[in-house]
Amino acid sequence: MSETKKTVHGIMAEFTSVDSLLSACRRIRDAGYTKTDAFTPFPVHGIDKALGIKPTKLPWIALVGGVSGTLIALTMQIWMNGIDYKYIISGKPYISLPAFMPVAFELTILLASFGAFFGMWALNGLPRFSNPMFTDPRFDRATDDRFFLYIDARDARYDSEGVRKLFADTGSEYINEVIEDDTPTKIPKPIFMVWGTMVAASVIPLLVVLTMRVTNSSQPRFHVFPDMDFSPAKDAQMSTSLFVDNRSMRPDVPGTVARGQMEESLDVLTGIDSEKLAQIDAPRADRLVRAYFFDDEVAKAEEVAEVTEAEGEAAAPSVMDTTPWVKEIPIKVDAALIEKGQQQFGIYCSVCHGLNGRGNGLVNQRAQSINSPTWVPPSNMHQDSLYSDKYPDGKLYSTITNGIRKMPGYAGQIKLRDRWAIVAYVRALQKSQNASIDLVPPSQKAAVEKAVADAKAELERQAAEAEKAEAERKAKEEKEKAEAAAKDAPAE
Amino acid sequence: MSEHAAPDIKPADHPAFQLPASLSALQTPLLFGGIVALLGGLLIGMFVSYMQPDMPRFGMSAYLTAFLYVLTVVLGGLFFVMIQHLVRAGWSVVVRRIAEFLMLMVIPLAILFVPIILSLFFPNSLFAWTDPDFYTEHGISQSVADQKGYFLWEPFFAIRAVFYFFVWAILAMFFWRGSTEQDETGEVAATERMQAWAGPGIIAFALTLSFAAFDWGMSLAPMWFSTMFGVYMFAGGILGAHCAITLGTYLLQRNGAMKDEVTPEHYHDLGKYIFGFTFFWTYIAFSQYMLIWYGNIPEETEWFFYRQEGAFGTLSLALIFFHWLIPFLGTMPRHIRRNPHVMAFWAAYILVMHFVDIYWIVMPEARLLDGSMATFGGIFGVLASLLCVAGMSSLIVGLILKLAGDNRLVPVRDPRLGESLAFENI
Amino acid sequence: MSLAIPNGLDNSSERPGERAPLVLGETTYHDITESVCKVAERPPGWGWGMGFLTSIALLHVLGGLILYLIYTGVGVWGNRSPIFWGWPIVNFVFWVGIGHAGTLISAILFLFRQEWRTSINRAAEAMTIFAVACAGTFPGIHVGRAWLAFWLAPYPSLNLWMWPQFRSPLLWDVFAVSTYGTVSLLFWYMGMVPDLATFRDRSKNKWRRMAYGILALGWSGSSRHWMRYEKAYALLAAFAAPLVLSVHTIVSFDFAVSQVPGWHTTIFPPYFVAGAIFSGFAMVLTLMVPARSMLDLEKLITIRHLDNMCKIILATGCIVGLAYGTEFFIAWYGQVPAEQFAFINRAAGPYWWAYLTMVSCNVISPQLFWFKKCRTTPWMIVVISIFVNIGMWFERFVIVVTSLSRDYLPSAWAYFTPTWVDWGMLIGSFGLFFTLFLLFCKLLPVINMAETKATLAKQEHMAHGAGGH
Repeated sequence: MSETKKTVHGIMAEFTSVDSLLSACRRIRDAGYTKTDAFTPFPVHGIDKALGIKPTKLPWIALVGGVSGTLIALTMQIWMNGIDYKYIISGKPYISLPAFMPVAFELTILLASFGAFFGMWALNGLPRFSNPMFTDPRFDRATDDRFFLYIDARDARYDSEGVRKLFADTGSEYINEVIEDDTPTKIPKPIFMVWGTMVAASVIPLLVVLTMRVTNSSQPRFHVFPDMDFSPAKDAQMSTSLFVDNRSMRPDVPGTVARGQMEESLDVLTGIDSEKLAQIDAPRADRLVRAYFFDDEVAKAEEVAEVTEAEGEAAAPSVMDTTPWVKEIPIKVDAALIEKGQQQFGIYCSVCHGLNGRGNGLVNQRAQSINSPTWVPPSNMHQDSLYSDKYPDGKLYSTITNGIRKMPGYAGQIKLRDRWAIVAYVRALQKSQNASIDLVPPSQKAAVEKAVADAKAELERQAAEAEKAEAERKAKEEKEKAEAAAKDAPAE
Repeated sequence: MSEHAAPDIKPADHPAFQLPASLSALQTPLLFGGIVALLGGLLIGMFVSYMQPDMPRFGMSAYLTAFLYVLTVVLGGLFFVMIQHLVRAGWSVVVRRIAEFLMLMVIPLAILFVPIILSLFFPNSLFAWTDPDFYTEHGISQSVADQKGYFLWEPFFAIRAVFYFFVWAILAMFFWRGSTEQDETGEVAATERMQAWAGPGIIAFALTLSFAAFDWGMSLAPMWFSTMFGVYMFAGGILGAHCAITLGTYLLQRNGAMKDEVTPEHYHDLGKYIFGFTFFWTYIAFSQYMLIWYGNIPEETEWFFYRQEGAFGTLSLALIFFHWLIPFLGTMPRHIRRNPHVMAFWAAYILVMHFVDIYWIVMPEARLLDGSMATFGGIFGVLASLLCVAGMSSLIVGLILKLAGDNRLVPVRDPRLGESLAFENI
Repeated sequence: MSLAIPNGLDNSSERPGERAPLVLGETTYHDITESVCKVAERPPGWGWGMGFLTSIALLHVLGGLILYLIYTGVGVWGNRSPIFWGWPIVNFVFWVGIGHAGTLISAILFLFRQEWRTSINRAAEAMTIFAVACAGTFPGIHVGRAWLAFWLAPYPSLNLWMWPQFRSPLLWDVFAVSTYGTVSLLFWYMGMVPDLATFRDRSKNKWRRMAYGILALGWSGSSRHWMRYEKAYALLAAFAAPLVLSVHTIVSFDFAVSQVPGWHTTIFPPYFVAGAIFSGFAMVLTLMVPARSMLDLEKLITIRHLDNMCKIILATGCIVGLAYGTEFFIAWYGQVPAEQFAFINRAAGPYWWAYLTMVSCNVISPQLFWFKKCRTTPWMIVVISIFVNIGMWFERFVIVVTSLSRDYLPSAWAYFTPTWVDWGMLIGSFGLFFTLFLLFCKLLPVINMAETKATLAKQEHMAHGAGGH
């Protein structure tokens, strides 16, 4: 302790019991020392009063941590599940406060605990590995069974001799100066290396993740679990030995109804007014039920045969005429349905019937041009016998569904509701051909009239052009004739 | 190691252990006022159920609300005494006598239960299941009705009630006599005896309390069920009991009794329990709500549905904020828990909120069971509910003051009194 | 300095008005330091070595089986439709439950000023952390693709473009268990710092001194530090106490928010918490009773400590029994057929043997603790504690497996049969637990020396105080 070159930080005294320490504490407090501290192996109750230590602000740090935990958790959950990525789960609202409580609670506790834990170390100025107190080997017992009292040299009343005397008076047996810690401050290499390796290693996962996040490689990735990456699942048209029919694509299980295709009403399914049918032809009504509700294939085939082949025997009143067809489309008709019908008509019907329904579609034109012997020309929809008073909506629907004469049934291609949509569109098409200008609402009348006038003018222009061309052609012909005649004449 | 010395144990006949005259003067007004208010409340309640056909069970429900309010607090007192003996607690000795006054009130409450027994003779006057047409009117199958009828059957119900009160009275008398006899003899064996019986006593208490809660609270909605319900009633009651002890201690000290014995240290501890049980009540209430809300099964959600809509919807929200959030934040700071004046305020406040909680449990079931919403029953309905609870509480407080006048306010010869006097929070 | 307490090693009786000593014999502060430090300072003994080798072997069983599981797929377990939560979830709930005693002892008993906690809290907290590590393993591998378990975390992902589902109790679990693990670790470490400083100051070897020195963060025992430290400790205890309740509550939500009969019951939260404390204390006793005699700690972990823990086991056992009864009563009272069937099936169905094991181990066997003889005889404590551990494992088995094995659709009903992998993982998880625990015994202070010295100081003060009056 006689090394005078070293900085002296203060003086410490050792005590052997709590009581002697406490009374010494009170004495130095009463003597007016303020920059003092006691070092004990366990927390001594009452020493803060004996030394005049003020209460800590730590609870406030924990409170701030806790409140921010609650706010972070609630914001996070509301934003993630209620705003940014919404989906309904077990019928709960997007923002389900009761369900958000557990995580809010946990984060509150977590951040409050962080506040208390890290706040405590920060306020204590720890970790701090070099401490002048540790220079005295005897101080090692401060964590075992000895109590130390310390007065700092920066204390206003500090005076080496006075402090020593005061400590001696309190009955301390060991009093010593606390001197500067002059052990080398260099961190030993192995520690540095271990630390460096650990830091480097801890960065690796982060780097891997970052690389994966930014790389866009075309190389196949490394397959750890080949059976999961290359699943033995079959594609649609592949063959397989698993099933008797060698098809990997399995047919629908009988009775399967595609999503959205479930139709409860027999009227909608068949276009026949089933109640009336039950009154006049009970066996057939029964067959319809079997065919459509119990998937009776035989009944269905009979039914389809009856409605498609009926046209052959024109003399007697056919099944087509006796069936009580649904008079009006049994589903809700609106602009959307008609638009759907227009689209579906364009896809499936117009190739034969023509876009305007006059029966002169591209297929028909081709068939006519090659004089196909088996071709039956498609019907023109703008004939009296196909208007709704003669040809009810249900019958038209049945025709689309089951076919007629050479026309096949389209039940397989066109969805149920779309077939009704086509019926609706055909009706609209029929109406359009006989429409008067009075049907157009006044607001659009002018536009329609203008369009009609434009079209007429265009037609007239075309007609005039055609006439002119014809006239020119004729004139040319005449001229050629005349020239030819003139040529011939000299020869004559 | 403490800086200030603990007060000495005063002789048993010291005036600090006597009920102050200013409080004993209140006995008679409280008793008579209580009876008048209770009868008045019951009559107005009956009038409301007579006048308003949509609230057939209103009058008796208001009475039951007041009864359950006082009973839960009183049973909380009984539990407090038993748990202190069970864990050999030292800190609580100076305030234990107040809980003992409280627990002995199960005996007058058994008499106050008579109107509820009588209501069984008038179908549909309190419990909907007493109506013979209940099951058929609500489309409940006969087999279910038969099964339910084994438990919700008037004679069995009455026998169970008698049994509960019998168990509670035995327990209360046992701990009361042990404690008051020790005041005279000072024998340590009394404490040992009470400690030995506290364990079995708590088991008997837990069973009877659970089933009493099922009988008197849950069966108001005959088809509803929740396994947590007994715990929920217990949580409210134990919270109320700690508040009642705090408030009682404060009032006694204000009037001059046990000035030196009870220190801020004891208020601090009581405050910690109030804080803790506020949290516990919230935990139980939230868990019960959360599980039923999440499961979303009609037979369970029905109960919360009628408490989430209309006037009771507002009350449910009020419970969240005023029964949990505000007292939770209010009793959180340490210096508040060490301040007797502020803690007395919070204790009184939570006692009021405990009534709101019981009201919220009982009163919606007074509605007509036809899908219509529950109401508070208009101005007369509110008046009846308040008069009932004010009457019942002041009657019981009057009886407590009577009891306190004849006995000491502190277990003066309890072997742990010294430890309690010297008690300091770390 | 030394304090004479005229008694033997039995401090289980206490006359009202006096407090029985918790540190026995003529023990000084230095004796406490010596007896705790020598556990870590002396070379490992034969018993420790054998135990450690066995545990390491079992740990390798677990590790190997996890690799096998990941390579082959979750089909190696006995989980089959409709029982998709088989043993892995049973083991998870079992280990999380075990993990409740430590923080309960450190936090709740601290708040209740139960001073007897001081000599057992360190080991119990360590046990908590190791049990949570075991518990966390199971849901981690139960997700099937364990290497994608990080998807549970709410991180902004450019690949998924989605967030976790916060309305799911399984995600609450992730937050609850990880918060619990973290806070328990902080609590444990913080409590250990002053003792690590003791280890540092006693180290003769430079490297050892440096290692403990780093862990001790330069702790000097300054009164200002102690004051903040105690405040932080009290705060952490106040936070950890509701946290302990919340963790098993949230585990119970995993079951109770569903509509599975036998799972959807409102009493699950408090009942699970009580069960967790019950099993946790049983595990503490199972470990501490042999440890105290093997490590010569009988003067610090006294009969009174064991006695108190037995009482807690008895109390929580009764709560659990009450909850079993309430569930049955309400199933009948509620008159919901599916619920009634679930409970009858539980007790009398194909798993009657599991139910019987559960009830006899959990409700009946702890009743022996009403007798003081059973609470103070170490071998009886160990036997009953092991019964309780078995019973609590079966409780989770009964809840998970019987309810799931009876679906709403009778054609889907099945009977659960564990595979050898299930068995191996359960046994292997004990290997993980004991490996960590044995390392802890050898490397870290097994008893909180600072707090035990404070208890001794208080005991000394009381003895002087009583003499002074």
